Amino acid sequence: MTLRPLTPRRYVTAILAWLGVWLVVAAVSVVVGGRLWSWGSQAQVQNILWLRLEWVLTASVVGAVLALAGLAFQALLRNPLADPYILGVSGGAALGFILSSLFLSVALAPVLGFLGALATVAIVYAIAQRRGRLEPYTLILTGVILNAFYAAAIMLLTALVRPAQRGDIALWMMGSIRAFGPQWLLVGLVGAGAVGVAVLFAFLAKGFNLVAVGEDTAQALGVPVSALRLVTFVAASLVTGASVALAGPIGFVGLICPHILRMIMGPDHRRLVPASLLLGATFLVLADLLATLWEGASDRALPVGVLTAMSGAPFFIYLLRRRWRTSAEIR
Amino acid sequence: MVQVRAILVAALALLAAAGCGGSGPPAAPKGDLRILSLTPSVTEVLFAMGLGPHVVGRSTYCTWPPEAKDLPAVGDTMQLSLEKVIRLQPTVAFLVTRREAVPRRLEGLGIRTVALDTDTMPQLLESIRTIGCETGHQAEAQALINRIQADLEAVRRRVAGLPRPKVLFAFPMTVGSSQIMVAGRGSFVDELLDVAGAENAYAARADWPNIGPQQVIALEPDVVIINATGEDSPPDRLQTIRHAWDALTSVPAVARGRVHILTESYLTIPGPRVGEAARLLAETIHPAPPGHSPARHGGQSSPWRRPELRAETTP
Repeated sequence: MTLRPLTPRRYVTAILAWLGVWLVVAAVSVVVGGRLWSWGSQAQVQNILWLRLEWVLTASVVGAVLALAGLAFQALLRNPLADPYILGVSGGAALGFILSSLFLSVALAPVLGFLGALATVAIVYAIAQRRGRLEPYTLILTGVILNAFYAAAIMLLTALVRPAQRGDIALWMMGSIRAFGPQWLLVGLVGAGAVGVAVLFAFLAKGFNLVAVGEDTAQALGVPVSALRLVTFVAASLVTGASVALAGPIGFVGLICPHILRMIMGPDHRRLVPASLLLGATFLVLADLLATLWEGASDRALPVGVLTAMSGAPFFIYLLRRRWRTSAEIR
Repeated sequence: MVQVRAILVAALALLAAAGCGGSGPPAAPKGDLRILSLTPSVTEVLFAMGLGPHVVGRSTYCTWPPEAKDLPAVGDTMQLSLEKVIRLQPTVAFLVTRREAVPRRLEGLGIRTVALDTDTMPQLLESIRTIGCETGHQAEAQALINRIQADLEAVRRRVAGLPRPKVLFAFPMTVGSSQIMVAGRGSFVDELLDVAGAENAYAARADWPNIGPQQVIALEPDVVIINATGEDSPPDRLQTIRHAWDALTSVPAVARGRVHILTESYLTIPGPRVGEAARLLAETIHPAPPGHSPARHGGQSSPWRRPELRAETTP
């Protein structure tokens, strides 16, 4: 793999190229998924256009957030298996969301979901920090334990509610991009979060690179590793919580998108941050388009979270095998 | 279509009048009749037939009539507490379920178990007749059947000759789903819509299909009736539901302000209150039928007898 040095001009060109890909895919998804040509009246076309636009934007912002959070957690925890949900944030958001929709208010569920994520961030920090420092292994273990606890709590709720509501909970846990009612405000908030975090991570990218080489090296070169970890952990967790509150826990996007990019463009986080933002968005829009086409053909809605995992896993294995083969040839 | 159904219902009524037939075990003696009801519609039927004092147990969801709530609950057909069932010592159990293991299990405990179907109007009337036979209360069963048929016929007469709008009957969207559940052709609510003077906007044969907003737009219903019950009925939830529908601007029902949210749970319970359900639907679908001017009804503003049944959130 040959990497040309990163100049500002190349940086901007790369971002514009990714943006172009996302725009094209999003536009195609709006038109094709809505079957805009098959509607009689102009009012109907307009109606469908707005619906599709909202769903495509929902998919975009959620995908972008998940890919960025995954990238950050993989760098921060120095663990290639890390995903946005590894620190228990999704579990906290899901529990808050489900509790609210069952017992308090369905309308307030996203707010309670986000509060659940917020509480989890605080709990994880309280458990995993030692004198303000976050150790990767303690963090991961704390996250795993919290996730297990939340999963048990959600199972308890599932067992206690009416049978009809069990299906609702299960469906929501698979992730849902397309809400029946409009959620523009939430989409806007998560979108702002995605862009904000992307800008933040773009500034932290050099630090990510050095931590990836080695913590001691990074420390020796003047990277404030502890502060970097804390900022990344809080920022990534908050946007993940917001995305779960919006669309439920959608698996695999945060794991696969950063890895696809690393295989294509190498380990430089300065390139990876903007690329993750836009590949995550594109990936989830494509998955949603597939689900829409499936629904059009079979009249059955497909949970998008199932599709991301089912389409992502084989592709990931293909990339892994191909990379392994080429590196073997080089040797 | 209406006539065919009317004939079918009439034929079933005749069948009911004919009695219990020779086959099957003899009816239980009235003295030690202890009934367990595991389905809300059956509980309603039992109480409507005056068998309330004989009901010893109910499912968790049997909450009507209010007296039923005082009875011990034994869970539901998904999670049945067999210990509680045994303690209640029922002589006969009625239930509607697709899980064959449940009646088999109850039979195994020595309880006469009768599985009923109440998915359609004829099935409901047939079930009432069966309950009458099993409990030895045929006359009460026939009286209830007659009353239900009279109720439905009254509603049918009121809407006769009125234009029949395309009505979509739906449940609110659930959390986590892009789809809503609507009454398909052939479902029990579909029959009520027919009685109430409407065409089902979902014309395809299906029990309770799930459809997304795109399909709602394609169906172009003139009127939408959303049945928001239980946890869907708090004010903020109703507002969310209305807000969601307002976005579908190209749907005729939305454009003309004909999206009605009804919170009555009995609309979808195939029991003795089907007449009331049909009347509420008719009242909602045909708010001011022509030919029923207030003057002709002595100053009454509505031709409907019980306007207090209306519970809409339309401002």
